[in-house]
Amino acid sequence: MSRVKRFFRTYKPFTRAGMQELIAYRANFICFLIGEIMSAFIMYFVWKAVFLSTDSETFMGFTMEDMVVYLFITFLTGYLTYSDGAFSVGEEIVDGSIAMRMIKPCSFEMCFLFQELGNRIISVAMIFVPIVAGVEIYRYAVSGMFRLQIGFFLLYIVSLLIAYMISFYFNVCYGFMAFFFKNLWGTTLIKETVVGFLSGAVIPLAFLPSGLAAVLNFLPFASLSYTPVMIYMGMYSYGEIAWRIGLQLFWLLVMYGVSKLVWRSAVKHLAVQGG
Amino acid sequence: MMRYIRLHRIFIAQYLKKLMEYKTDFLLGAIGLLLTQILQIAFLGIVFSQIPALIGWSFAEVLFIYGFSLIAKFLDHLFTDNLWMVGYRIIRKGEFDKYLTRPINTLYHVIAENFCVDAFGEALTCILLLLYSIPQLNMPFHWYTIPLLLVVIVFATLIYSSLKIITAAISFWTKASGHITHMLYMTNDFSKYPVSIYNKAVQTVITYVIPFAFTAYYPASYFLTGKDPLFCIGGTVIAGTVLFALALFVWNRGLKAYESAGS
Amino acid sequence: MDNMIYVENLRKEFKKIIKEPGIKGSVKALFKPKKEIVKAVDGISFEVPRGEILGFIGPNGAGKSTVIKMLTGILMPTSGTCLINGKNPQADRKNYVREIGVVFGQRTQLWWDLALRETYAVLKEIYQVPDEQYKKRMDFLNEVLELDSFITSPVRTLSLGQRMRADIAASLLHSPKVLFLDEPTIGLDVVVKENIRNAIKKINEEEGTTVILTTHDLADIELLCERIVMIDKGKKVFDGGLTELKHNFGDIRTLEFELAGAPDFQLLDFDRHFKAAENDIRAELDGNMVRVRFDTAKVSVEEIISYTLQTVHVKDLNIKDVEIEEIIKQLYRREVSL
Repeated sequence: MSRVKRFFRTYKPFTRAGMQELIAYRANFICFLIGEIMSAFIMYFVWKAVFLSTDSETFMGFTMEDMVVYLFITFLTGYLTYSDGAFSVGEEIVDGSIAMRMIKPCSFEMCFLFQELGNRIISVAMIFVPIVAGVEIYRYAVSGMFRLQIGFFLLYIVSLLIAYMISFYFNVCYGFMAFFFKNLWGTTLIKETVVGFLSGAVIPLAFLPSGLAAVLNFLPFASLSYTPVMIYMGMYSYGEIAWRIGLQLFWLLVMYGVSKLVWRSAVKHLAVQGG
Repeated sequence: MMRYIRLHRIFIAQYLKKLMEYKTDFLLGAIGLLLTQILQIAFLGIVFSQIPALIGWSFAEVLFIYGFSLIAKFLDHLFTDNLWMVGYRIIRKGEFDKYLTRPINTLYHVIAENFCVDAFGEALTCILLLLYSIPQLNMPFHWYTIPLLLVVIVFATLIYSSLKIITAAISFWTKASGHITHMLYMTNDFSKYPVSIYNKAVQTVITYVIPFAFTAYYPASYFLTGKDPLFCIGGTVIAGTVLFALALFVWNRGLKAYESAGS
Repeated sequence: MDNMIYVENLRKEFKKIIKEPGIKGSVKALFKPKKEIVKAVDGISFEVPRGEILGFIGPNGAGKSTVIKMLTGILMPTSGTCLINGKNPQADRKNYVREIGVVFGQRTQLWWDLALRETYAVLKEIYQVPDEQYKKRMDFLNEVLELDSFITSPVRTLSLGQRMRADIAASLLHSPKVLFLDEPTIGLDVVVKENIRNAIKKINEEEGTTVILTTHDLADIELLCERIVMIDKGKKVFDGGLTELKHNFGDIRTLEFELAGAPDFQLLDFDRHFKAAENDIRAELDGNMVRVRFDTAKVSVEEIISYTLQTVHVKDLNIKDVEIEEIIKQLYRREVSL
């Protein structure tokens, strides 16, 4: 027990720093948020027009109500699982300040993780509650009944947490890779676009040709966004959810292992570079 | 004026030399932008596979408006990309000092110093979309269509760049404003689709407040239908002129408030 | 002699938001930011004659850079006047900056990714230097700053010393009348420092360029400047020649000697013997070495030597003039005032 306590005491300052950072740059944060959520609103209008243009109540199995939930919960999931600690890793390797982290008596990735957690705690308060409330109020207004099922909601949170950890380790790997490519802007744009597509954040995987959809459903990217969102929407049965979350845990393990390997080789590279 | 044209040639020549050194960077950036656009168009393709028209707009028309919206976006991106850096880094780190010690216009100097050839990712999408959609559309064509198009392109780009100048200049007071530029940049996506899909409030905002609708939908709909030239084309010219004047004013006020950095 | 630079009652105030520590402080600053006015430059006046090299010194945060930035037209003064060659930097910036060259040692103005030669080619256009003059100028700068060996390399690959030489050359390309150097020797090794000093001296002598130099390396000052202006907390605390500074400070010398036997030091008691205050005489023991700083107005050289020789056994004794560095150190620490 005391070990756990000590662990949290070591990393608490990082969490606190992450929270303060977010408050200090609150204007940036709010503007960034508004900018990002704008695209969800644009898609909302596009979908509204789509449903106006068709006689059917559903579009490839989705009702307008489903579409709205999908758009905003995808946005929320994408935002909460977004991890840019990796970006700092790359930057710190380039300017050499990673050395300062390596001489501290704590794990480098835990420093980043806890710093991000501090960031996330405030994000959760500022966007999680309003978006979930907004979506549920919308659903209530449209259908006249309360649609959120507590079971699915709790499983969504579990799935979201795993998705965040996968995203974290995936981006740690990417941060090192970007350092080897020495190009951050271009590769990041490609990465985000490709991951956005493969994870079902741009187009619901259900809309894709069934063969492609089946493959993408199995790849780790679906675990980042599509799986938690579908759980929230109640699209999966409890049995299916169990197997989906199992798959998520499998990918989390894989990503963790890969990130360890990449870190080890990066440290070696650093040792070669330094003189 | 001649001097600035001459200077611009030199800046471009220098930039191309730099580009040769960073070929992969440019390629990766362009591929990234191209991919982003292609995936969004793939999405539209899926949507239109299920419906005949989007509240009266055919697939070809929607693609034309989408492609048209990329013209100004890409030109602005190509020429004034350095303005992003003003809001993100240049002012905060005091790097703006340099521009103030040079005997040329600061705004011009910042803009001319960098080009973003990555924008060709967007240019390529734009050309492909227009080439694909135009033959399917029965657009009115007159002797003045091309000159009018050029005028629209100039002023539509001016709308983009002026809004970017204004948001960048905010950092003279606040030290950093990249996030405001970002927020603005995300709203320009509204211009990619026919304005009639939005509700009244959104329509008003993107027509009269942040007039992105004049960079794409209004002029594009004029070229599609030949209707309402005064509002569609005139509006673009007026919005571009007013915003550019405002941008110069804000920038010059900002210079006076600039506080540099460090001791 | 006419003045190149004329500064009168120059002031610059900044607004600063004060944040209390901790998360509570951050939240508080979010809703009710507390503002404070900081007087970075608080009524400074001085003049610089044409062709002079002026050393502009002061501790960190004294306001040196702020003054330089106002003189170069980067910052708007809150109030006061500055005229350089009869021109107001803020009134017609574009015309004014043609007459000055600026080097910020901490920051390069060269284009990071371009070969050095290309940077100069762009600057030539920006400053509209005619071809003929540009060629001559490059030859001259090449000779003084020895740019030849790295002029084709991209700026990002230059060493700090090379970069500084390249930056100084860039600031001189358009033959400015005034050169502002903000810490031009920061972080450089002794040999490069010397090269840079020689170059500055040569340009000043051959072209009569007026130079304002800020630095923390007092060797720069001693070797280059006839005159210094010292500021602290935004106010001028000294303005005059180096000899004047020493004189003003009082004729302080240091007596240095090595004791023949260690316990001897106990026998020396300078304060009591000369009945002087601690500021007037002070002894320090470092191993077997004894250093005694004393003010010759209070204690004569003769007296102190004879007292020392009578009291203890001494090897190897000498008397030193006080170093400029010592004076300035004390001024910064506010142990003395002028």
